[in-house]
Amino acid sequence: MAYKYTLEILAGIAIIAFCAVFLYTSATMSGAEFAGSDNVGSGLIAKLSGNPIENFQPLIWQWVPPSGEIESALFALQAAVGGILVGGVFGYWMGQKNKT
Amino acid sequence: MHIMEGFLPWQWCLVWWIIALPCLIIGIHQLKKVLGADREALPLLGVTGGFIFILSSLKLPSVTGSCSHPTGTGLSAISFGPWITAVVCAIVLLFQSLFLAHGGLSVLGANIVSMGIVGPLVGYGIYRLLRDTSVNIYITIFLVCALADLFTYVMTSLELALAYPAETGGIVSSFILFMGIFAITQIPLAIVEGVVLALVFKYIVALKPDILIRLKIFSEKQINAARSEI
Repeated sequence: MAYKYTLEILAGIAIIAFCAVFLYTSATMSGAEFAGSDNVGSGLIAKLSGNPIENFQPLIWQWVPPSGEIESALFALQAAVGGILVGGVFGYWMGQKNKT
Repeated sequence: MHIMEGFLPWQWCLVWWIIALPCLIIGIHQLKKVLGADREALPLLGVTGGFIFILSSLKLPSVTGSCSHPTGTGLSAISFGPWITAVVCAIVLLFQSLFLAHGGLSVLGANIVSMGIVGPLVGYGIYRLLRDTSVNIYITIFLVCALADLFTYVMTSLELALAYPAETGGIVSSFILFMGIFAITQIPLAIVEGVVLALVFKYIVALKPDILIRLKIFSEKQINAARSEI
């Protein structure tokens, strides 16, 4: 029982280390914009193909969220769906365990 | 992380769709079989799928000065195998391409192959390799989740390198360039994802060990050892 929380501690250390690395990078790296890696990747595609990035048009029409805020809201919605599923099931299992 | 709509020539979109579709069909078939045999597998599917929803919505900053997101596919790959994981990923990726302009319908096949098939397949391979050894199951889970995440991005790099070989050095040099953007960014995220999902697995072991034994994910002996260990 002495090691009951080993994994929790390890996870905490990993998250804190990750945050520390982020703070260090954002303070020291010049030109770090923290854009999505897919945007950076798209820039490389444009460079490799010799085709300016504006020339890459969707092959199939695509709805684009009208603003960054709406995009964030929809991402949050996706996380919420996952959160409800996880929380619901853990609660269900906890209830089952308490009953028996 | 996803390849964006319009950034893959239609021939390549078609190739990846042709690879992804049979895997999805196998996945749907397996899903019906698993849920038909044991309804108690449904909550476990909910938890493992839920983590794919949560983790793939988090865009996190990484050491390279860009952002990327974890995939969360490792737990599902261990519990249900890569084909069912591909089906869950397809749902997440479809949501993201329809409502977030993240990925797209033409490149959906390519994104399913990287996030839903190759990543989980690598994770599942590691799980099968380590399952019957004396390696601690939490270390197994950590490795599966971290490497399933990382190999998703290795595959994305390969998909892009195949479509856009560099003028000098061809596919290999282009692959290295894309790896520099996608896979290197992903290493710290993959490590954190591995540790966090190992922790989640601990809670599943604590709350519902019988389903893990019934689905033959780990043996009774291993689960009991894991319960007493931590």
